[in-house]
This record gives sequence, C-alpha cells and structure tokens, in this order.
Amino acid sequence: MRKRWILVTTWLLMSAAGQAMAGGGPSSRDTSRLEEGERIYQQYCASCHGSEGEGQPNWERQNTQGELPAPPHGPEGHTWKHSDAMLYRIIAEGWRDPWNKTERLTMPAFEDVLTPAEIRSVINFLKSLWTSEQRHHQAEESVGASFPTQSE
Amino acid sequence: MNKITSRFWRALSLTSWVMASLSFVSMAGATEEALPSLSYDQTGERLLKVQANQLFESTDGRAAWTMIPLPDEVAEGRLVTVSATAEQALYIAGPSIGVQRSIDQGESWHEIDEGLPSQDVIAFTVHRNQPETLYAVVVDDGLYQSEDTGTTWKKMDSGPAQAVRRLIHSDMEGSMQTGWLYAVSDDVVRLSMDCFCGWRPTGDLNAGRVYDLAYKLDDPEHVYVATEQGLWRSDNGGQEWQQVRGNAPTLVALTLAPQGTLYALDREGELMRSEDQGQTWTPPDA
Repeated sequence: MRKRWILVTTWLLMSAAGQAMAGGGPSSRDTSRLEEGERIYQQYCASCHGSEGEGQPNWERQNTQGELPAPPHGPEGHTWKHSDAMLYRIIAEGWRDPWNKTERLTMPAFEDVLTPAEIRSVINFLKSLWTSEQRHHQAEESVGASFPTQSE
Repeated sequence: MNKITSRFWRALSLTSWVMASLSFVSMAGATEEALPSLSYDQTGERLLKVQANQLFESTDGRAAWTMIPLPDEVAEGRLVTVSATAEQALYIAGPSIGVQRSIDQGESWHEIDEGLPSQDVIAFTVHRNQPETLYAVVVDDGLYQSEDTGTTWKKMDSGPAQAVRRLIHSDMEGSMQTGWLYAVSDDVVRLSMDCFCGWRPTGDLNAGRVYDLAYKLDDPEHVYVATEQGLWRSDNGGQEWQQVRGNAPTLVALTLAPQGTLYALDREGELMRSEDQGQTWTPPDA
C-alpha cells in the first residue's frame, strides 16, 4: 500500500513538474481524477490484478483450468505496451484469449459497470504505476489510438 | 638439448591439435548456422531462396534458380532471410548485414537499419498485411519494429530469452492488436500477439531442433513446422501439433504458396514440393 502511494505521489509530482514547465500548475481536477481512478481500481480490479497491481502468480502461463491469470499492471507487466484506445476497449468489452481452454472471458467486460469517464480514470491511474520510459512508450502508441470521445 | 627440442615439438603438436579442434568447432558452428531459407513472394509468384550468402529466385516453382544481385556488404556478413512485399520490395537481413531494401529486384540496395542499435540482425519479417511494418531481432538486444519501412525503429520487446532463428508475422485471428508473431528458436516455437504482451510456447513439440515454420495464407491457423524429427502440423495456430507421417526428408526451410502447395529445402538447399499437406514430397522436376 505504501509503495503504491509513493508511486502515485511520484506520478503526481512529475505531472505537476510537467505542467509547471508548461506554464500551468497541477489542477485539483487531475488529482481528484487520479484518486477516483485508484478508488475504482481498488473496487473492481484489485481482486484479480492485486491491490498493488502485482497480478496473479505465474501470470504468463495458463493455470490448471487452461486460463491466463490476471497480469500485473506495473513495470513488469505489459499494460504499458497498449494504447489508450486498446486499454479502453479491453476494459469496456472484455477480452478472451483465443487459447483459453474455457469459454470464459480472460478479462471480464466492464462497460455495464463503469461509465466511460470511470474507465478512463482507472487507465490514468494505471499509468501512475509505470516508469517514465514506459509512459513515454505508451503515449507514442496512443498517437492515433486515443481514448474514445465519450470518455472525456 | 634433445629434451628441450622434444618438449618444444610436443607443445607445438598439442597447440596444433587444440587449434585444429577449435577451428573444427567453429566451422561446425558456421555450417550449422548457415542453413538455407525459403520464402514465397505472392505478388511476384516466385520462390526466393537464401543459400550460402546468395539470393536466388525461381519463377516456375521448379529448381531452376536465378541469382539476384546482392550488395557487397553481404560477403562480410551472414545472410539469413529474405522477404518480399506486395509493393515488390525485397528485404534482406542478417548478422553484420542489418536490414537492406531493394525496389528494383536487387539492382540497388539501401540500408534501412540506421535506427537499429546494431547491424547484427538475426531474424526479420514483414507484417502480413501492412508492408510498411517491419520487425527485426537484434542479437543480445531484442525485437524492434518499424512502421515506416525502416526509416525509424522502436524497441518493442526483449524477445524470447532463446535466440530466434526465424520470425514470422501471421494475421491469425484473436490478437489484441493486428496479428501474431511466431519466433522459431532451436528448442521450440513461441508466439506473441503483435502488441508484445508476452511470449507463449506453442504446444508440446518434442521433436528435437526446430528449423522453420510456415502457415497457410488463406487459413493461418494451419501451421507447419520443420524439425529435426520431421514435419509437424497444427490446425489451431500451434496450440497442438501432430506429426505428419510420410516420406519427408529432413527439411530445414518451409514456405506455403497460396494454393496450399508446400515448398521446402533440405540441408543442401535442394527444393522439394508437396501437394498433400506434407505427406509426400517430390523434387519439383519429378
């Protein structure tokens, strides 16, 4: 928990520094959105992906049921490799690994549970778990593949 | 004095033996790595073969090969692969060669690897449906992607821990992004979605060394692998493999033409063809 708050604080400080360099200060709106993202994460995502975003053990291999366990969201995972548009789609519509041995979705769909703005908030919270290089990589991947307009 | 001379000759002969042994190991390694490779150019309707650092084409599906000119740098490297695209561009790649592109059938070649950390490229492929998207594996580094035909490159992944012998892009369904990448290593075939969210081993393939992989262009779940212990086939993208029983010799390079004809090379680079999903093989002139 403490580690997570350090990451969030670091991310906020970096955002603040970035905005200060750009001529603006950190807005309370951004801060509250990030807090909202974390609240949603803890409520809906942490049970599978871990309260620290650590994922499930042996997440890279199918479990005994033939399903892929939930991956971590931190630097060791692969969430940062996906564009905003793809992350949004995966959370909204869910996703089934084609090698899954059951009919269940690998990642459940949340479009009937979360609003578009909430999905965007939780993704923005996940970004606070990445390194600056990973955020940069993901920002490049999101060029031309950004959040859908309804999430604004 | 005689004792000293005797010791000198003994030391010399021992040194010669060690040197000879080392050079044998080195040559064996070089021979082992210099396997021929084969690909099918759908646009040009031709087979492309890389063998002994030279590039050949065959437009009649037979063993009449015509040499395609290569840049001088190839002589100092090791050409491992060739790819052709719908735009009639040819790509070659290999250690010390990097990635080079020709749009005039080999009359001129252009290096497109300035954005890579080194020219030690051990595997290369082009996206199945996006000819501007290229993938290159740099030895001891990882997998790079270019989305602008090699003008810029971006590291996407550290790649499988094992050295990659062949890299093949597939448009098989089910990927989060646009397709999949097969990475053939000596021990196994691995697969990753082209968003690079993890390499997974394909199904159990206890068949010795793995040489090459090819999939059916109009049905990409149908995949073949050439191994030390023969040809194997999967009908589900590699989740499970079945050995193909037949008369196949040891094949080290594989490719599939659009009509389903399988072409392969043996160790000596001799072309073989199968019209029945790899069960019976004949030389194309037979």
